[in-house]
Amino acid sequence: MLKTKILIVDDELIMRESLGGWLERDGHEIEKAASGEEALKKMQQTRFDVLLVDIKMEGMSGLELLKKVKEYDPDIEVVMITAFGSISSSIEAMKNGAFDYLLKPFDPNELGVLIEKIIENKAQIMENLYLREQHKEVTRFENMIGQSSAIRNIFSLIQDVAPMESTILLTGETGTGKGLAAKAVHTHSNRCQGPFMGINCGAIPEHLMESELFGYQKGAFTDAKENKKGRLELANGGTLFLDEIGEISMRMQIDLLRVLEDRIFYRVGGTQPIESDFRVIAATNRNIEDAIKRGSFREDLFYRLNVISIEIPTLKERKEDIPLLAEQFLFRFTQETNKSIKKIHRDALDEMMIYEWPGNVRELENAIERAVVVCKGEVILPENLPIFKHETSPAPRSGSLKEMEKTHIQTALADNEWNITKCAQILQIDRSTLYNKIKAYNIKRNN
Amino acid sequence: MASRNKLNILITTIGSIPKHQLLAVAESVRDQFGIHTQTQETLQDIEFALDTERDQYNSTCILETLQDFVQDPAHKIVALVQEDLFIPILTHVYGEAQLGGKACIVSSHRLKEDLKTVSIQQELTLRLIKEVYHELGHTFGLLHCKDSSCIMHYCRSIRDVDRKSENFCRYCGILLEDEIKKL
Repeated sequence: MLKTKILIVDDELIMRESLGGWLERDGHEIEKAASGEEALKKMQQTRFDVLLVDIKMEGMSGLELLKKVKEYDPDIEVVMITAFGSISSSIEAMKNGAFDYLLKPFDPNELGVLIEKIIENKAQIMENLYLREQHKEVTRFENMIGQSSAIRNIFSLIQDVAPMESTILLTGETGTGKGLAAKAVHTHSNRCQGPFMGINCGAIPEHLMESELFGYQKGAFTDAKENKKGRLELANGGTLFLDEIGEISMRMQIDLLRVLEDRIFYRVGGTQPIESDFRVIAATNRNIEDAIKRGSFREDLFYRLNVISIEIPTLKERKEDIPLLAEQFLFRFTQETNKSIKKIHRDALDEMMIYEWPGNVRELENAIERAVVVCKGEVILPENLPIFKHETSPAPRSGSLKEMEKTHIQTALADNEWNITKCAQILQIDRSTLYNKIKAYNIKRNN
Repeated sequence: MASRNKLNILITTIGSIPKHQLLAVAESVRDQFGIHTQTQETLQDIEFALDTERDQYNSTCILETLQDFVQDPAHKIVALVQEDLFIPILTHVYGEAQLGGKACIVSSHRLKEDLKTVSIQQELTLRLIKEVYHELGHTFGLLHCKDSSCIMHYCRSIRDVDRKSENFCRYCGILLEDEIKKL
């Protein structure tokens, strides 16, 4: 975790030194300023978490400094330090947004508790922001599920690499569950108490990507009415998941590379460098090496991201997991819709096992969701899985042989605009037999 | 832990700290840090650091004078006093150390609060030893530790001093070893 950055502003050297020394022993990063003016200059270069400000100073007073700090960045907490007898100024400071005030000399216990309270408060704010972001990105995926050797290898790999701090590149087709794998890495890592901050690089227009990642400073552009923390800042202490990394522009690749190298960045329109401590997991369904050859992806960024590579298998490669996944999705969607569907019919499951699932687990999930909606009984039947109707022969898979024959002839006639000779050739029967069947099944040309 | 030859920790008392406490501290420090300890006379008093308004002694001033008794960079000095210490911004301190420096000081003044057991002297000596370990830890560059049982945990009250153990947690122990190796 990063140290709390504290700026001590006091015109008395001895106070700055003794307070600085004490806080340094407590593990905080300390800078000192002898005046309000010097403090403002330092704030241009460094982003502080807390300012400890003496109310009475030569030149700019502590109260004036407080107002300027709060205008500049309301997230910075300011604690006023005052001598006995100037309580009224302290009360005024509280009205102007100071976190608290301390009467000097203060009890070490009092100062320790106050700093802890500020840190906890800031952590709480970050957590709330994170939860709000999380809520926006509710995923329809379940947790990673499977018992196939392909997916068990992935589980084992995740457990091995999660405790490391290394960057991970997840590859795999769309819908294979790369986002779930990223969350699993986060959950098993030492950062699990921190935020998991995801961003879908493919879903955000390039002009919004910069402010989304880096945040912005009030006034940076027309709509920037207040300061906004970016995903990099919100990911502090946790994991940053860059989904669809193959989609980011060359310009963003350069910015991202710089951040990954030194973990320091600037908000859009900001002048203070911001540090954030996060682990990066990136994911892509593209072949990045091909993109490098084509010149659309930076090689240095690829090597920075591809420290550990995990390829998530397609659903086709782990078909034995289909019944388990289908059952899990069925359970979830029946709960959500309040339906009393008990199971998936064996025939429907057989169909699922035959199907190729080009959209992988996500396609299976959508298919089950739709089946639950259209199912009238207690069992999901093959006809409740409309996906197969498009992909396979239009002839019904159930019903009598005669019904199937009728439908097949109807389709052949429709496809060949009732050209009897051509249809008979395709069906490998003679024309008279075809006529007899049309008559027997009472098939009529539909205009 | 075997004592390392070239390293040395000087232990000095200023004023009327009982000799048995000085010896107990010297012996304990030697065992805990694995460094040779030596008792030595230094300052006669600390009146130069008295703040008459506060009727307390400025520990930072004392450390500045005390560090001159140590020339060898592999040596440290610990002073034991009975007077009430302060740093200008705080009401009081149990002790102070130069972070990553040569000198530290511990006062028994506030460590005498709430002595409960029958063997008061033993309890006080134990508190003194704990605070000496803590301040010496700072001279080796160690910071306050979040582990409440670690000797480097910051104590806000005498109850905290009694509650913490006499040992460094695994993490602080490793950092200390690293620092000692560097000397």
